[in-house]
Amino acid sequence: MTPLDSSAALWNPREHNRNNCEWKLTVMATSAVARETVFALRRQIAKIEGTLPERLEAPAGAAPVDADVTPQNPTADIPPQDLTIVRRGLAVAPPDAFLRTGAEGLDTALSGGLPKAALSEIHGAATRDAGAVAGFALSLVSLILKQGPRLPVLWIGTAEIFREAGFPYARGLHALFGIEPEQLLFSEAPRLLDALWTAEEAARMTALAAVILEIRGSPQRLDLTATRRLHARAQNAGRPVFLLRQAGEPEPTAAPVRLVLSAAPSAPRETIAGPLAGSIGRPAFTVSIGKSRTALPGQFTLEWNPDERSFEERRTGEERAANPVPVVSASRRGKDPAAASGAVLAFPAVGSPAPGDQPSPGERAAHRRPRRTG
Amino acid sequence: MISHRQGNAQRIAALDERAEALHLKRGMGIADARAMHPSVDVVEADLEADRRLLESLADWCDRYTPLVALDAADGLFLDVTGCTHLFGGERSMLDDILSRFFHQGFDVRAGLAATPGAAWAAARFASDRIVPGGEEEALLAPLPLAALRIEPDIRASLESVGLRTAGAVMAAPRAPLARRFGVSLLLRLDQALGRLDEAVSPRLPVAPLSVERHLAEPIMLTDEIERLVKMLATTLKADLERRGEGARRLALLLFRVDGAVNRIAVGTSRPLREPLLIQKLFHERLAALEQDIDAGYGFDLVRLSVLSAAAFDMQQADLAGETRDDGADIALFADRIRARLGESAVLKPVAVESHLPERAVAMLPFTEAPQRVSPPKKPGKIQDTSSKPVFRPERPIRLFRSPEPIEVPATEMPEGPPMNFRWRRALYRVARAEGPERIAPEWWREAAGQEDAPTRDYFRIEDSDGRRYWLYRQGLYGASHAAPRWFMHGVFA
Repeated sequence: MTPLDSSAALWNPREHNRNNCEWKLTVMATSAVARETVFALRRQIAKIEGTLPERLEAPAGAAPVDADVTPQNPTADIPPQDLTIVRRGLAVAPPDAFLRTGAEGLDTALSGGLPKAALSEIHGAATRDAGAVAGFALSLVSLILKQGPRLPVLWIGTAEIFREAGFPYARGLHALFGIEPEQLLFSEAPRLLDALWTAEEAARMTALAAVILEIRGSPQRLDLTATRRLHARAQNAGRPVFLLRQAGEPEPTAAPVRLVLSAAPSAPRETIAGPLAGSIGRPAFTVSIGKSRTALPGQFTLEWNPDERSFEERRTGEERAANPVPVVSASRRGKDPAAASGAVLAFPAVGSPAPGDQPSPGERAAHRRPRRTG
Repeated sequence: MISHRQGNAQRIAALDERAEALHLKRGMGIADARAMHPSVDVVEADLEADRRLLESLADWCDRYTPLVALDAADGLFLDVTGCTHLFGGERSMLDDILSRFFHQGFDVRAGLAATPGAAWAAARFASDRIVPGGEEEALLAPLPLAALRIEPDIRASLESVGLRTAGAVMAAPRAPLARRFGVSLLLRLDQALGRLDEAVSPRLPVAPLSVERHLAEPIMLTDEIERLVKMLATTLKADLERRGEGARRLALLLFRVDGAVNRIAVGTSRPLREPLLIQKLFHERLAALEQDIDAGYGFDLVRLSVLSAAAFDMQQADLAGETRDDGADIALFADRIRARLGESAVLKPVAVESHLPERAVAMLPFTEAPQRVSPPKKPGKIQDTSSKPVFRPERPIRLFRSPEPIEVPATEMPEGPPMNFRWRRALYRVARAEGPERIAPEWWREAAGQEDAPTRDYFRIEDSDGRRYWLYRQGLYGASHAAPRWFMHGVFA
């Protein structure tokens, strides 16, 4: 066991402890075999049920694999039902390994949220979506900061993206996401190579709450190897790395999750007298899951609440919520993309007024409602 | 033979022994020289290149003493006080200097004396001579007047009255000399004889601490240099600890065998003395400079100097042996980034009290940003909102460095938001708008007499796709002849 055990003693309380340990270890060994069986069975069940066997509730008795299994270790006493199984090597992740966005639909689709110790890609279709992409990434950072210690956030970008999409503005970030200027660090790299190097160095630091790397376009350098390096470092450090790609094509990536972001029309401001017509309320995002091993493709509209620092999912009609239909097919660049099930509808504009600056029917004042005939 | 332009004629500025053997002289016209010997090879003088060469030689002479000064266009002063014993005495040091310069291909004359003036004379008129203290008079007495470092016209007038050697001037009564030839003559004389102190101003500030290592076998590889840096830093650590300081600026000097010197400096954002961390910083710097450093035949002397140091605050470790210094990791990380990518690679925003959005946040390099003194506010704490407006004006999350002009064909009302606009050649239809928020220029910052900068009316715009922008109109309709212009200034989440 430990070298201390070899010291001679007349009565050694550790002797008893050691026997106990050995007994427990044999139990662990047998239970490990049982666990394998249970996992295999669960995978089969999942296959039959049609859900992805990526993250399942862990069976009773499963302990984190990477944790020390000596009985003295208190981490072995975590209630096992809170653990989640991730497919890779059947490792068991602790419950706080995932960042819950707070939006029920997105969290369920991602089976518990975004992995915290990982690289996550957030794409924007064009550079003009930079506001939505950056806003969503920052709201995730804000959620992390709300839970964890107040560590600084590093935002790395190439000179190109900061010129094209604007430099992050600390006043706005503070007002919207509660990130204080002292917590922010920016690094502007003249070349992509330097930005990648900085990001790799930063990804291994535990003294940063999160690293944001912002890249424009689809450069050759940012290939599978580069993302794998970033992902591995993020996993080791246990800190998230957000790779923001403006106007980038979906390419092979090592990141477990890729989200495609675009701006959604915001709801009007809420006042005591009701929604204020024509006003621009809280920021809203349309999130589509571009790649995820666990999730089915889906599209969600989230609204960021700067006061509570939390997401709220916007229900855009009950039929959508009841039957979430993938508007965007999973394999976008595949040879034979599967047809979307159901009709592709234009996104219903709840907040945006009708042409001519008329309020939309939902928010039209009662006296202006068209008089019903009859 | 090297020519230079003097007045209207090309004249000989310098010449080699073979040209001298042809009875050519300095200052002779090139036309005359060509007439005498049509085959002479003439090269135009390049004063700038000469200067650079002398600078690099001075860098190289840093290996003997940190106090190196340039003397006119063709001389170097080395203050070797207290350094000679490191090279085995004055004679062997002088021999070492001369032989190393000879092997580099330079024709050097050197003199060593107790005063700069005497050493200057010894080097130029009594080559390779060491003048013991107190014998300056004996050295100077037989030398011509040029050995006194005096102006040519003073020399000419001295010669015209028959004083042809320094000894003759020394023997002459001082008062009439001063009256007739000016004070500078006596000043030079006294300085050469050691009656007055003469300060040699070194080229570079003297580093408070340096350690160096002479290598019998020159090194070429970056890895070896880095290992050596760590060894030197370990030596340096003891000295820094004794002084209670940490290094804020460090310089690494690499002396190449053939005389070139590389000087690599790094800055740290907080005092540093840990050898491993110093090695890491130089690792980044060396990686960034990989192309610029030419090892050639290798480096035979490596020196690590502390250019500036600051008090090192010891951190009290807790019982678990961990010091509670959250910023240390970040500071070291920032140092490494800066070492590789330059001084402004890591920026920190600092809030500035200003109405103008672009002035309200200043981006400072990491080292210059003020460190937070007070402990951070607790997030749950209720803040005093009495002094702040209840509804803060909305600010974008991204701001363009310079506002980008947009085309606005039509607005709803003269003073209202645009109905659509063209930005970067794409047309955007405005779905909703909020505003205006009027921001006036800061008159207290404008120079007197300057025309007033136009006010800006800011609008929050949401386009038909749901993207939110921050636009402003500069100026008012009808206020002046020029029509107001529209700009895109920021992007909202």
